[in-house]
Amino acid sequence: MRVVHYLNQFFGGLGAEERAGGSLEAREGPVGPGKLLEPLLGSSAQVALTLVCGDNYAVENQDAFILAALEKIRSANADLFVAGPCFLAGRYGMAAGALCAAVQSQIGIPVMTGMARENPGADLYREKFYIIDSGENAAKMRNVLEQMAQLAHKLLQSKPIGAPRDEGYIPRGLIRDEFVEKPAGERLVDMALAKFRGEPFESEMAPASFAAVPMPPAVKNLRNAKVMLITDGGLVPKGNPDRIQGSAATRWGAYSVKDRAALRAEDYEISHGGYDAQFVRQDPDRLVPLDVMRELENDGAIGALCDEFISTSGLANPLSNTRRMGREMAEKARSLGVDAIILTST
Amino acid sequence: MQLTLAIHPVEEIQFGAATQLRQATLDVDQEELRQIVLQDARIESVEFHIVRPGESCRAGPVFDIVEPRAKEPGASPDWPGVLDAPQTAGSGTTHVLQGMAVTALREQSPGESRGATGYILETSGDAAAGSHYATLHHLIMIPHTKADLAAHARHRAYRLAQLRIAVHLARAALTSRPNSMEVFDLSVGNDRAGLPRFAYVGQIFSRQRKPEAEESILYGAGTDGMLPTLLHPNEWLDGALLPSYHGSLGGAETFFYQNHPVINALYHRHRARELNFAGTVATIASADNFDRERNTRFAAHLVKWALRADAAVLTKFGGGVPHTDLAETARLLECDGIKTSVQVTDLARDRRVESALLFNFPEVDAIVCIGGNSTNWRLPRVERVLAANSSLAELLEGPLEMHSLNIIGVANQQGAARLRSVMY
Repeated sequence: MRVVHYLNQFFGGLGAEERAGGSLEAREGPVGPGKLLEPLLGSSAQVALTLVCGDNYAVENQDAFILAALEKIRSANADLFVAGPCFLAGRYGMAAGALCAAVQSQIGIPVMTGMARENPGADLYREKFYIIDSGENAAKMRNVLEQMAQLAHKLLQSKPIGAPRDEGYIPRGLIRDEFVEKPAGERLVDMALAKFRGEPFESEMAPASFAAVPMPPAVKNLRNAKVMLITDGGLVPKGNPDRIQGSAATRWGAYSVKDRAALRAEDYEISHGGYDAQFVRQDPDRLVPLDVMRELENDGAIGALCDEFISTSGLANPLSNTRRMGREMAEKARSLGVDAIILTST
Repeated sequence: MQLTLAIHPVEEIQFGAATQLRQATLDVDQEELRQIVLQDARIESVEFHIVRPGESCRAGPVFDIVEPRAKEPGASPDWPGVLDAPQTAGSGTTHVLQGMAVTALREQSPGESRGATGYILETSGDAAAGSHYATLHHLIMIPHTKADLAAHARHRAYRLAQLRIAVHLARAALTSRPNSMEVFDLSVGNDRAGLPRFAYVGQIFSRQRKPEAEESILYGAGTDGMLPTLLHPNEWLDGALLPSYHGSLGGAETFFYQNHPVINALYHRHRARELNFAGTVATIASADNFDRERNTRFAAHLVKWALRADAAVLTKFGGGVPHTDLAETARLLECDGIKTSVQVTDLARDRRVESALLFNFPEVDAIVCIGGNSTNWRLPRVERVLAANSSLAELLEGPLEMHSLNIIGVANQQGAARLRSVMY
């Protein structure tokens, strides 16, 4: 098994901060931590090549650095790429993470690295691949390399990878399925009993926390404002021209209501499998209240209603979709000169 | 309240001249069953098929799965509120044909969020290994209803026919000696005073949809105007509850009300003197925040003041919205000092932890998560496809790519699921 190992200038033995500007160099065989790593990977493993690069150079010239490194890794016929461990060194972690990501996607061999949880590289790349939690202390090098070697072996042999705590990697924030012996009802009662008794228990899911969304400034004068309606209730023109999916939608549409006083049932349908849509089908204004908005417009309570409303389906929609769609919708609204938006849901 | 299940194992079903139980073989007189089904004028004809565990077979879309059970004469009626007067279920002796089920198929694809195939019964291969239903012998019933029936009338006809057939079959066991008896009685054993009191709070419907006309869920009632209500655990097991008709509000079948994994687990711990099973609350998920506030507070108060519980386990029904009712009820309980655990389903289509839950209450931290979103099976072509018509049969024939959630039983929300989400 041929391994290529990446190190920064410090672990590569070139020097400290004064050598951080140095460009990528390649050495035959293992260097520094690589000498510890090689035997841990087993008797058939050989660190064929060590890449060393200054942290500043790698981060400031990331594209050139990655291009050069990929070429060397390819020509070394590597079966495995290992970077670091980087501990708390931020630039080192960023470079190692970017390189691992590139190797994984462009060469397609297993990658392995180690970082402290607080390393900015960990936050940026932990979803993409396994990063052994190295902690901050470089004196634990041997332990960290052992864990990296063990996990790398499993990856190379396509063996099942255990929980973060068991394997020592930083939780990736991902979910997979697993069949277990004990049915959910028994696990539920076991967990309540443990919690009641004050014994440790392991929740099967963890809630996510999100940064607070700052309150935007108030609309100064509604009488001059252009108002738009946006819904996640899946109201689409008959035939669903944008093919907005009824569940976990990846698309949204903007539909004209120009010169119309209200929405007619025969013009619309619902693409959303998560609520009882019969009342909206009878009268789409119940979801997208065009009729009431026209009254407000005629009364002068709002300046104008936007000529288009935006619609998508909010059912079972993961945040990775909704963040993107939200940004796209905001851009669309801005391009139409909208001052205020009313969101209607189900 | 004492319920005795008289268990009669069934290891073989075969069609015969008379319906009878001979040892572990159930003979089924098809003509007799046909007459029972056709007493409902909405049904024009009916087919019956026998499917064995492990057989290369696929059936769908499944309407419901029912374990054949019959009450001994003199006890409460079978399926109170549906087949008979709405008297209290849960006491006396009920005879059970264990190891089999009466499984009814729909004539139409349920569509909506479960896709064109709806729920399917798979009895062989990898997919079958994920569902308890693959271990059962099935008497498959395919009713053919009149063409112009409204959906609610068709569903009503399916329900009545299936329950009548299941009861009729189990009555064949009334004269046989059961293989074993299982007693469900909370008052067993003295000196339970020091044990913690545990309650079960189970959602039985989600008001995201209005139930159909005559949709029988709780003693025949459709949950219109329902507030959280106290039930003895035996009532769940003995016919008080039926799942919704809605195919897309999945994860509940009659079979696992009759064999309720959460209630069975609590009974097991009760008998082992680890806890006192204080009772249950049946509740619904709400359609709006006003109803949600009322329902969750009612449920929490019943657990605290009527059941005087120290801890509670909670399950949900259907899809996303019920998570909020579940979590809010658990939060209210935790605020009252009652420890909770909750069972949710995996909502993260993007396989990210951040997308999985619809709540974030620090107190609600004991979570069982049923998986499914990253499991698909390539279902092979099978020897037998059972469906109500040729277009459905064609849809199911295979080979086809099938999401695990479409295999009935895999992501069951009554506590039977063995597929779980794992964070990594």
